[in-house]
Amino acid sequence: MTVQKPPGQPAPSGQPEPRGAAESQREVLSSDAATTWPLRAYDVALRAFPAAFRESWEGDMRATFADRVAAARSTAGRAPVRLVARELANVLHTGLRERLHSNYPKPRIMHLRDLRYALRLLIRSPGFTLLTVLVLAGGLGLSTFTFSFLYTAMIRPLPLSEGERIVRIDAVVDGRRRAIDAADVGALRTSLRTVRELGAYTGRELVVGRDGDGRMVDATAAEPSLFAVARTPALFGRTLLPSDAVEGAAPVIVLSYRTWEVAFGADRSVVDSEVAIDGVSTLVVGVMPEGFGFPVASEAWVPLPATTTAATMPGMESVRLVGRLAPGVSHAEASAEASPLLRRLLAARDTSARPANVAASVESFASVQFGDERLLVFTVLNLLAALILLLALVNVVNLLLARANERIRETAVRMALGASMGRLVVQGMWETLILCAMGGVLGTAGAAWGLEAITRWTRANMEGNLAFWWVWRMDSVTLICAGAFVTVAVVAMGVVVSLRTTRTNVREVLQDGGARSGGRSIGRISRALVTVQVTTVTVLMYFGVMAGVMAERALTIDPGFDTTRLVQGGIAPPPARYTTDAERAVLFRNLQARLAEQGELDEVILRRTLAEKQSSGGRFTLRDARQTGAAPSAFVVATLGDLNTLGVQVMDGRPFNAADDGERAPVAIISRALAARHWAGRSPVGDQLRLAAVGDTARWITIVGVASDLPYGDPLSRDRSADAIYLPLLQSGATYATFLARYRSSELAARQSLRQTFAQVDPLLVPDGVQSYDEVLRKVGLITTSVSRLFAACFAFSLLLALVGTFGLMSRRIGLRTREIGVRRALGATDASITALLLGQGGRQLGVGTLMAAPLLAGVGMAFSYYFPISAWISLTAGLAVSLAIVALILAATWMPTRQVLRVTPRDALWRD
Amino acid sequence: MRPIEFEILLSLAAGARHGYAIIQDIEARGDDADVRVETGTLYRALQRLVEQGLVVPTEPRPAAPDDDARRRYYDLTPAGRHAAAAEARRLARLVDSARGLRLIPRSAG
Repeated sequence: MTVQKPPGQPAPSGQPEPRGAAESQREVLSSDAATTWPLRAYDVALRAFPAAFRESWEGDMRATFADRVAAARSTAGRAPVRLVARELANVLHTGLRERLHSNYPKPRIMHLRDLRYALRLLIRSPGFTLLTVLVLAGGLGLSTFTFSFLYTAMIRPLPLSEGERIVRIDAVVDGRRRAIDAADVGALRTSLRTVRELGAYTGRELVVGRDGDGRMVDATAAEPSLFAVARTPALFGRTLLPSDAVEGAAPVIVLSYRTWEVAFGADRSVVDSEVAIDGVSTLVVGVMPEGFGFPVASEAWVPLPATTTAATMPGMESVRLVGRLAPGVSHAEASAEASPLLRRLLAARDTSARPANVAASVESFASVQFGDERLLVFTVLNLLAALILLLALVNVVNLLLARANERIRETAVRMALGASMGRLVVQGMWETLILCAMGGVLGTAGAAWGLEAITRWTRANMEGNLAFWWVWRMDSVTLICAGAFVTVAVVAMGVVVSLRTTRTNVREVLQDGGARSGGRSIGRISRALVTVQVTTVTVLMYFGVMAGVMAERALTIDPGFDTTRLVQGGIAPPPARYTTDAERAVLFRNLQARLAEQGELDEVILRRTLAEKQSSGGRFTLRDARQTGAAPSAFVVATLGDLNTLGVQVMDGRPFNAADDGERAPVAIISRALAARHWAGRSPVGDQLRLAAVGDTARWITIVGVASDLPYGDPLSRDRSADAIYLPLLQSGATYATFLARYRSSELAARQSLRQTFAQVDPLLVPDGVQSYDEVLRKVGLITTSVSRLFAACFAFSLLLALVGTFGLMSRRIGLRTREIGVRRALGATDASITALLLGQGGRQLGVGTLMAAPLLAGVGMAFSYYFPISAWISLTAGLAVSLAIVALILAATWMPTRQVLRVTPRDALWRD
Repeated sequence: MRPIEFEILLSLAAGARHGYAIIQDIEARGDDADVRVETGTLYRALQRLVEQGLVVPTEPRPAAPDDDARRRYYDLTPAGRHAAAAEARRLARLVDSARGLRLIPRSAG
């Protein structure tokens, strides 16, 4: 019998070797550093084989592998990477095959009795169970609610057939989103290949019913193709047809379900009957299904005259444009196709020296309603919710660790009696699973309740202003989201608790009583968790405070003028009947004069913001062109009537007068801020400027006056500015105007008076969107306070979590040191020195947590200062205040258990186990 | 019988060997340098052969000078020797048939 001796091996000792005794081999085989890493990797790979197989073959396999590696090394002189890789792949492959094809008895680690045991443990400590479940439910519920709420509001595709393909096409001019010029719709419709079935629409207010019992509805003047985009048939009757939109067609209207219910008592016979719409007999051709309000919250639909898109001059009217993406086309591809087209159309008529930067934006209809910051808002708010969940998890994990520590002796005994690690981990997992399941169910129920409550609240307070798809309720997305969060919780908690179990050192625990066993690693985890907690709660609270500052700003918006008893509304001369600037000017002049004569109304002014400072329309050129640097720009506002209503007084030169109409030389009044910027130290009166905002850019406009400042622009943005140029409305070519008037007795009387005056001037004209400033402010206030309260509740919850968590953790850690403290006091330590010692213990994590929070606070603060007019010093002060408050609160939570331990006499402390 | 199992039986037909020696023998026997046996494949096959009673870990260990204390040796059982012979005969018959059909040249044998 011949036996081959492997190369490079030590001389045989002749000693028999027990089967599978890997320990001694390991020493021999690991002696060479170059063979260590392949062997370690091999050991790991061997785990692919079932345990029973490994028991018989592992030692032999390792030896053979080590022989091969050593032999290959002696030949090649270096680690045989290829051989090792091949071996590892082979072992993994054959090991898994062995697992699949073998009939080894599987070690049972799932036992029903473990579930019962876990349940018993939880029932035995109801306080712990209740606290854990409530904390988990709070964190999971909040995260689920936030995600589901934002998903429905911002991302969910419209609840229409293939709603995800419905898109809105906007023009983006100089970075600002604009509606599409009605004159461009035809060209887009014939040229676009990536977006089909285009439908244009524009908002319109209509009075449905007779005088006296008429009802104002927010209607949509829509191309009949809008219903093709929506793919929704009428509930009764029909939708709009192309023949309804042709010139001279009989007027028709399609009602929403709600309008049909509220205005016509859900009377089926109203379909195919004539009703008064804006005083004109109109045929009701259909009623749409319940809940349908496409495009947003439409209460009725009337045909948009075909002439609007076919025969309107460019710049006269804007429309919104929706369509359906062609199959397989992305939003980006559609934008890429539409952009050059739109650019060409606009370039053909842009005569200004510096052409605007034009692009098209094709985006999901639902999400585009939220503007360009929607992704940021969605991410930030979800991140906040995730932070609260993190905080909840940190606290629950801390509680679980404390429990695991208390049961460490039991774990060690089980291990000593032969329980497998898998079994012990699974046993610990049952508890986690039960807690997460209970927290998850409770949290999801809470989220569902919250969603229903939001739907109810919005229906009660904001009816008519809500997009038709904003119906928040429990649905599959909410459930999936809740499931995902619960899974995250189970995994996070499971990992930490399993780590605790696997780190148990049986011998130490049984000898020592377990007080110190694993203490170091657990201490590390606990300290890390406290640090994370401090950081998280600081960031959350800071965000809350900054949001509060914003809310306060929103509630105290200063429009710059007195808003008491002020009503506003729109005047939209129908383009079909008012075709020229002169005709519109007569209408505006008549309306202003008649409204001013009304006994009920006072301080009537018509105005129209023609351009914003940041837009290309806001740019102007001075005749006395001495300016340098950036092209000057300002808000351009056309007015007719008493500027005093806006709180603006003419300080130099003269106000506009009745003679400043289209027949006379164009004039302007500029604001004091603008005058100070460009005419420093001298009067601008008599100088001339050219404006991009008015149609004729070649016309010089003479400045006749300087007026006091009034802030323009979004009151909550950084774009607010008092740089303004006022033009006479009758010289501006405006096609639309807003009126402002102060009523004497009541808002209702003012509305009636307005309707009557409009009817006197033009029986077919109704004031557009009449609302009192008080009402607008009330709505803004309602939304702001509601959102702030919601935020405050969330942040209060997170603060409570952090306090309770820190208190619990510190109580336990200080409790463990009772005896030590007893010894210290017996040796003469003063209460003050012990307090300092214990506070210092918590202080380190507090310091690290606060330091870690600092850059995050800076980021949040800068973001707030960037997007909103909040000065840097407010951000800084708020950051410092929040950090100090958190430090104080956490120190207080540490001080309370310290005080308790100091009450224990040294003698009692020494006797304590 | 799988090829790897027959290869192992062939290696052990010359005498008891440990795992690494079996691998070396199989690789040396193959005329193609790409003939490779990895440990996972080898020991899975060895386990099957042991279960079938064709191979046995040797109890009386080989003579001391050639012994390697760290590893087990494997030897054929009489049943294993018989099975290897039967498989060899079967393969020889197949090779003869292949020659008859001129799938391989006569000189190859």
